[in-house]
Amino acid sequence: MTIDQLWRISTVWYGTRLQASPRRPTPAEMVELFASVGLDEPFWDPTSDHVD
Amino acid sequence: MDFDTRVRRTIYEHFATTGRRPELATMAERVEATTDEVIASYRRLSDRRVLVLDDDGISIAMALPFSGVPTQHTVESDGVVYTANCAWDALGVPAALQRPATVHSRCEQSREPFRLDIGVDGPESSEWLFHSLVPASKWWADIVFT
Repeated sequence: MTIDQLWRISTVWYGTRLQASPRRPTPAEMVELFASVGLDEPFWDPTSDHVD
Repeated sequence: MDFDTRVRRTIYEHFATTGRRPELATMAERVEATTDEVIASYRRLSDRRVLVLDDDGISIAMALPFSGVPTQHTVESDGVVYTANCAWDALGVPAALQRPATVHSRCEQSREPFRLDIGVDGPESSEWLFHSLVPASKWWADIVFT
């Protein structure tokens, strides 16, 4: 993925990590997040069993 | 606030302030508990994938995006040098800190050094690509390898 894609994901993934109530994306939110930057292949789906 | 939350917050505060993992004795003092109580909390936090522990079971290897051990991925921000677990986490550190930073890493294929300045609005333009060998569904099968 590009640096821009990686940055956009990182701000959501880690943006609250140092806050009092950090929130990590759920598996469904991960799928949405990756898809939001154009990564919608099973490779980026944490629940997928279609990748080796 | 429950004990594990206090331990987690203290770990992250330490990383954010110093760039380094806290020692066990420091943690016990900061959270006003015994080292055994802190270790038990580390293990619960590890089970929840908040932490990754070293093989000794008492040292923090990862409090993502921060690394407790040396890696080739470093981030400098406001005079503090942080270590990240991977190239992704190297961008995760300034995302977590929410302040400008400079990332240093390298291409694992060519060994070419990588430097990226990240401002308040995000990273400068870059042609570099992030490559993950492991599919998302397998990341936690071996998070250190990932």
